[in-house]
Amino acid sequence: MSGDLTARSGGLTLPRIGDRALWSFVGRRIGHAVLVLFCVATVSFFLVRISGDPVRQMLPPDATAAQETALRAQLGLDQPLLGQYVSYMTGLLHLDLGQSLFFHRPAFDVIAERLPATVTLAAGALVVVLVVAIPAGVVSALRRGTATDTTVMAAVLVGQSAPAFFVGILLILVFAVNLQMLPASGMGGIENLVLPAVTLGLYSIAMVARLLRSSLVDVLGEDYIRTARAKGLTGWRIVTAHGLRNASLPVVTVVGLEIGNLLGGAILTEQVFAWPGVGRLTVEAVTYRDYPLMQATVMFLATVFVVVNLLVDLSYAALDPRVRLS
Amino acid sequence: MRHIQPYDTAFHNMKRKMPDRALSVTSFPLGAALRELRGRQRDVTERITMGRRELLRFGGLAVAGISVPGLLTACKAGSNPASKAGNVLRVTQPADATTLDPHKQGDLPSMNVLINIFDTLTVRDVNDRLVGGIAESWESVSPTTWRFHLRSGVTFHNGEPCDAAAVAYSLQRLIDPATKSPIVELRFVTKAKVVDARTVDVITSQPDPILPQKVSLFGGVIVPPKYIKEKGDAAFAANPVGTGPYVFQSWQRDNQIVLKANPKYWGGKPGVEQVTFKVMPDAASSLAALQSGGVDIVSQLSPDAAQQLGNGPGLKVVTSPGIRTFFVSIDTLSGGPLGKKEVRQALNMALDVPTLIKSVLNGAGQQTPTLIPHQSFGYDPSVQAFPYDLAKAKNLLAQAGYPNGFTTKLTASAVDKDMAQAISGQLAKIGVTASVSIMDAATFKQRLVSSNKQALGPMYFTGNTGWTMDAESNLQSFIRHDRRQSRWNNPQADKLIDTEEGSVDSATRKQAFTKLQQLLVDEAPFLFLYQARSLFAVNDRVQWKTNSNGTLAMASAKLT
Repeated sequence: MSGDLTARSGGLTLPRIGDRALWSFVGRRIGHAVLVLFCVATVSFFLVRISGDPVRQMLPPDATAAQETALRAQLGLDQPLLGQYVSYMTGLLHLDLGQSLFFHRPAFDVIAERLPATVTLAAGALVVVLVVAIPAGVVSALRRGTATDTTVMAAVLVGQSAPAFFVGILLILVFAVNLQMLPASGMGGIENLVLPAVTLGLYSIAMVARLLRSSLVDVLGEDYIRTARAKGLTGWRIVTAHGLRNASLPVVTVVGLEIGNLLGGAILTEQVFAWPGVGRLTVEAVTYRDYPLMQATVMFLATVFVVVNLLVDLSYAALDPRVRLS
Repeated sequence: MRHIQPYDTAFHNMKRKMPDRALSVTSFPLGAALRELRGRQRDVTERITMGRRELLRFGGLAVAGISVPGLLTACKAGSNPASKAGNVLRVTQPADATTLDPHKQGDLPSMNVLINIFDTLTVRDVNDRLVGGIAESWESVSPTTWRFHLRSGVTFHNGEPCDAAAVAYSLQRLIDPATKSPIVELRFVTKAKVVDARTVDVITSQPDPILPQKVSLFGGVIVPPKYIKEKGDAAFAANPVGTGPYVFQSWQRDNQIVLKANPKYWGGKPGVEQVTFKVMPDAASSLAALQSGGVDIVSQLSPDAAQQLGNGPGLKVVTSPGIRTFFVSIDTLSGGPLGKKEVRQALNMALDVPTLIKSVLNGAGQQTPTLIPHQSFGYDPSVQAFPYDLAKAKNLLAQAGYPNGFTTKLTASAVDKDMAQAISGQLAKIGVTASVSIMDAATFKQRLVSSNKQALGPMYFTGNTGWTMDAESNLQSFIRHDRRQSRWNNPQADKLIDTEEGSVDSATRKQAFTKLQQLLVDEAPFLFLYQARSLFAVNDRVQWKTNSNGTLAMASAKLT
């Protein structure tokens, strides 16, 4: 990068593995994460228990009182609340999320087998978001105030405003029923991923595109851009090497948070496209008052957000050399 | 919950998040950089907010542009897109099976899959007759012993013989507390005893007149003893082995279960090579899948969805009679107007049930005089449903001391909201104001099964499936005063319930059922409504029929 005039447009400065500051930062954040997860576990434990009784939910209406008592004892739900709490927390320390009452299997396994579907969908949606939002943001910023800008921003806004059950059904009607180009629903090959990924991604496109647009507009007005222009760099190079790099910091924050949302918030999309992910599992767990599974899904989502946040913080240091983890 | 979250909230949360992050990092110099960043973020936020106003102007135009009308028309006419699927039958259900261990489930989505992999002792055929399954014949040898004579030469998919030992093992496994079975039908069974290689005695603690009916579905699934003992319960649930018409292939949770035809099936090889059960929770998208040729049968269709689909080219809606009965439970125990028989009779007479069926269910139902469907054993056709008679209803209300009606509440699950509103509307014609309270399905069920019998208020709309097709199942939870969902205390009714539940003599039972039905239409402890038909949407390459239970047994299905 010999021709660069400012520190801001230097190469990526990845934190070094041997950096003590990095490890102390990571250590502190992991400490916070454990505290957060402990609180989430405690709150979710007591919250799900005031939501209703799974035993009566599981038994048919004509079950006898004796059958009810027996099932309650088998599930350990006849124990005092505090005892249940202690054994739940002890289990958590051993990474044991408990046994799903409804599926008769470890809650961890039940979530784990749906995880590939959730990750696939989130990854597909993220690709859609980046592929659409970055060009949209850049074009809008460069054509700021023109009809192109307004049109692009209006289009992404519509994408964000339309709910998944509407967009999803619309896409199914057009691409599966009428054009018969793509399967209507279910999980299978890559062709099954297209419609749900677009539906899920649409919501996040607007957030990313608009933030990138504003950030880029901001950056393109900076002195160093004028300098770059003055020394004769091409427009394209100015935008990619100087503009985008500097405009990306707030965008990274938002994309990070959106990854959390894409992983944890696909309930409607999964419902519409019969996609076998964690979102639908969460709804099932609540419907059946499956305490361990409800807690496990909450813990899963909390962990996703905690990890994503940590990664976002670390990525600042990589993107902005002025940021030091000390 | 992201799609529900409005833009502003999402952004507000993000803004709120930034100071939190800064707080957590103020102890090191990164804080300064982040504060700067936060400042920039705020500018960005303001700018975006300003920009939104102008964008909204254009937003409206863009929305209007989306609904290109031509794109929304239904399936293209012409060749059936489903035919490229080959000899594979694809069936949707709104929910996935919970487990494929037949003794550890008690729900219809699981059972619908399992009846294709396993056989039951007895079977309801497509004409609702109780016929042999694994058992060829059965008889009551004493009031507490049923004897089953088994079919010979039946083997499990792994070659294991299905004999008396397997049958006895299966019943014992079901009633063993260690199995934690949610199936309650065999509650009176104490022992299943091998008499000889093809005969099993089932011994009950008290007479169980409908045991042969109870082993036609949930209660009667036969499993392979040797396989389960060798592999264990978890492996059995992951790779179920039965005697049924289809062999288990694979299960991807919440997506699909694949079964292959069993060429050695004792009832003859099925006409379909492969059956795939697909889980599709959304009604609109499962119908779209049907129209696009992705599936062949959509089960558990709502009347609304059926009407929407209509009979498009290559598609049709098929119905089976259905035995699920619907009614309104009345709290007769808490005094007030609903404690009076005349009032309850008046409410029943104020209901025009045929109109409810026509307008809310698009005709997919049949009026029932009491809680018992027309096909079930014990149904007495001579018992007449309440007539629709507003004048008489008003008279009865006046006699009971409520000439101007009264105010009450009608609770229903969100899925039944239209019906509840229609009922409330009809009751208003005799001056009774029943305000409708709608709950989400999970909360409704939670309150329905709670021990507090008042949890759903003075009146609630509910349904019940007596899949044994014996009136005992329709009445058992609702009539006798000590049962879980009974809100009526009538010693005569209690005695009649004891009679029909305690006798294996069908004449005695039939008589008790008749008296019960006469008592019900006199005392009116419920608003009696209708039985709903089961609706399926299929494409025209499917040849398949189900019984009144509406189960998805695919042994006799064919594809053209």
